[in-house]
Amino acid sequence: MTDRLFDSSNINVIDDADTWQSALQQASEPLLASKAITQLYVNKMIENVQSNGPYMVLSDYFALMHARPGEGVNSMGMSLLVSRNPIDLEGKQVKIFLIMAAVDNSSHLKSLQQVTSIFMDRKAYETILNGNKNEILALFKQKEAVA
Amino acid sequence: MKFLAVCGFGVGSSMVLKMTLDKVIKELGIEAETENTDIASAKAEDADAYFTSAELKPDLESSTNKPVIAIKRYMDASEVKQALVTFLQAREGSER
Repeated sequence: MTDRLFDSSNINVIDDADTWQSALQQASEPLLASKAITQLYVNKMIENVQSNGPYMVLSDYFALMHARPGEGVNSMGMSLLVSRNPIDLEGKQVKIFLIMAAVDNSSHLKSLQQVTSIFMDRKAYETILNGNKNEILALFKQKEAVA
Repeated sequence: MKFLAVCGFGVGSSMVLKMTLDKVIKELGIEAETENTDIASAKAEDADAYFTSAELKPDLESSTNKPVIAIKRYMDASEVKQALVTFLQAREGSER
């Protein structure tokens, strides 16, 4: 495990997905594979959208997916799925699914702040939206070196 | 002034909303503190205004008489700025 937020193991790019649930499942795969989360966490994220609405779509095409810390979470982790085509999430169009799994209320905040500041950078955001995995990897490598 | 950024769990989206609020507050040069929290804690915590989603707004409004402001895109500084300016103008108006 490195200190890097993102590397080739937790970034995936797809063309499209039939449903947001299927995109969310694919986005979660790296964290399921590393056992950072269990399927329970994926189900909780789905339930949260169904009961509280798509408020996690934080800007056009960008959804920060997460559920309650600790439930179905073994260790802190993040993973990223970029779809080249938009996927409907309860009425909002999403191309970027960022999965965040936290173990408690505070230990992930620094990572989240780091990621958010990258996503708030318009140029960086456009690079991510473009959906070229190598470019996205290069972007995070460069940004994380500065941060 | 004190503003609360509120989401379902108080650890993800509301953290981002707090960051956007902080950015806008700095831009506008106003004195205010911000915190992020989950909806259950927000109901028990006093603030000058609450920022949350349209979905959570009615629930929060039922437990406070302070303004609850719905934000569509938590990361959109221009939307948050406009909401904050509208709130400040209304507040100024009511004090006169």
